[in-house]
Amino acid sequence: MPILEARSLTKTFRRPDKAPGFKGALKHLAQRRYKTYTAVDAIDLAIEPGESVAYVGPNGAGKSTTVKLLTGILRPSEGTVRVMGRDPHTERIANAHDIGVLFGQRTQLWWDLPVEESLKLLKHMYGVSDADYKARIAKFDELLDLGEFMPSLARTLSLGQRMRADLACALIHAPKMVYLDEPTIGLDISVKDRLRAFLRELVDEGTTLLLTSHDLADIEEVCERIVVIDKGTVAYDGPIQQLKAHYITTKAVNLILEGPADVPALAEKFPEYGWAAGEAPSEVVVTYESNRFTTAEVLGGLTAQLAPRDLSLSEPSIEDVIRRLYAGELTR
Amino acid sequence: MADTLPLKHSVPVRHALAMYWRALAAQVRSIIEYPADLWVMASAGAVWNLLQFAFLAVLFSTVPDVEGWGFHEMLLLSGLLSIAGGANALLFDGAWSTGQMVIKGDIDYRLTRPAPVVLQVGSSHIGLQSFGELLLGFAMFVYGWIGAGLGPAWIPVGLFAIACAAVIQCGLVTALCAVNFWIKSPMSMFAFLMIDLQGGAMKLPLGVFPAAVRVISLFIVPVAFVNVVPVAVIAGHMSAWWLIGTPVTALFAVVLAAGVYRLGLRAYDSAGH
Repeated sequence: MPILEARSLTKTFRRPDKAPGFKGALKHLAQRRYKTYTAVDAIDLAIEPGESVAYVGPNGAGKSTTVKLLTGILRPSEGTVRVMGRDPHTERIANAHDIGVLFGQRTQLWWDLPVEESLKLLKHMYGVSDADYKARIAKFDELLDLGEFMPSLARTLSLGQRMRADLACALIHAPKMVYLDEPTIGLDISVKDRLRAFLRELVDEGTTLLLTSHDLADIEEVCERIVVIDKGTVAYDGPIQQLKAHYITTKAVNLILEGPADVPALAEKFPEYGWAAGEAPSEVVVTYESNRFTTAEVLGGLTAQLAPRDLSLSEPSIEDVIRRLYAGELTR
Repeated sequence: MADTLPLKHSVPVRHALAMYWRALAAQVRSIIEYPADLWVMASAGAVWNLLQFAFLAVLFSTVPDVEGWGFHEMLLLSGLLSIAGGANALLFDGAWSTGQMVIKGDIDYRLTRPAPVVLQVGSSHIGLQSFGELLLGFAMFVYGWIGAGLGPAWIPVGLFAIACAAVIQCGLVTALCAVNFWIKSPMSMFAFLMIDLQGGAMKLPLGVFPAAVRVISLFIVPVAFVNVVPVAVIAGHMSAWWLIGTPVTALFAVVLAAGVYRLGLRAYDSAGH
């Protein structure tokens, strides 16, 4: 049974329909008109316990609105949401015990309090026992280095520290379902790596995760399934590996030859492949269609005839696929 | 989850209030540990009340009474109003941030926690000026009490009036700040108007105002029950029956605040979509 299920989930907002400038504002004052804007359009989504799902899409696609609908912050205009069998909006209090939420662009820390005090307030709010609280804080400290800034006021924290503290706040009650909206936004590489490692461990322990991020490395490192949303509708929903296998049909091999690479000559000799010069004079990049040739065939043929000094396979990039999905170049 | 309270669709009142007091206590602890702004803000609150005291002293040096009210009775009025304002700043100052929270989407996190949103917002901040307002407010109230010759028999009534004044002030301010769920303004204009009405009119006996003002302040926006009615009863200017209106108004203010906030949360559509 899914831990989260959304059916025909729709959210519309009313926006003033007015011309720009002072004249438009005056006209709108006398004659008020509104346009209905659909942020989320009949989305169906089911997440099984323990799944880690990436929810991605371009800016304005409806990601954050969906998260707010799933967490009960917003009421759906149409459709239903059930999280562990409950309506997260009407059964807000009961739902709150089972979910953890992080919005990367905002903090839930009490601004004028030390981090430790915020965590203690949440401990009491969720009714976490002393023993569980101590154990979780120790674990967060080990994985997120919380100790160094626990006594600091929230308003004095750096962005990376604030995000780690917010993550601890979202998880202090060991929620079964965790929503993370842009958890690595604005962070440096080392903090990102640390957060991703922490999230991987969280998933390994069986926590269900829904992650939205523009950083596709977050997605590849943490999630197994990806839901691509665009203009409020689902453009793709399936395993990340399947997305790659289905859409990434062009693969690449980098060859380092003994001498300088003569790209036009090679292209003439092996017209079935694509050829391009590499970064070094002796380097050449060979591309081939994976639905026409196996990697073994390509490598076997090239190594036998060119005897390269070294070679490497380029891993397919999910970033390119998603970019093309956003651009409407690929269809479901 | 084994380690969470067995909460279902609502939060037990005791748990909610315990959470609220913990949040306030944590803020007070933090203020004591990091008192940088405390003295400046507390002094500002105190100075404002000293000015009120000076104004009344100057006024009563030229007139013997105002509508039959003497200097010490007027001090009781100003003192109780300051206590109510200080109590609001100490106990529910966060309500003033409702408009900003609505505009910025800062209600979001509060909707994902197992606690009443109105208590989370109200306890999210402490107005440091409250310490000065409360200190000087109590000083004026006690000085007026002694000067007016009120005996110890009235002390329970006085304490009851103070408690009700604090609740009414917090309730009405919160309800008016919650209007910002609909008008989407960072400024709590309606609450400011109420404070303005109190600052201008509720430091004087109701008898000096036309009937319309009396009706508004007693029955429409019942700010008269914060200080004017209880002080008038204690000082013998109104029948003791009027005192019943004070706890009734306090209950009304709490229900109103909770109700308007609940409706506001239904209209809340976050930010950034």
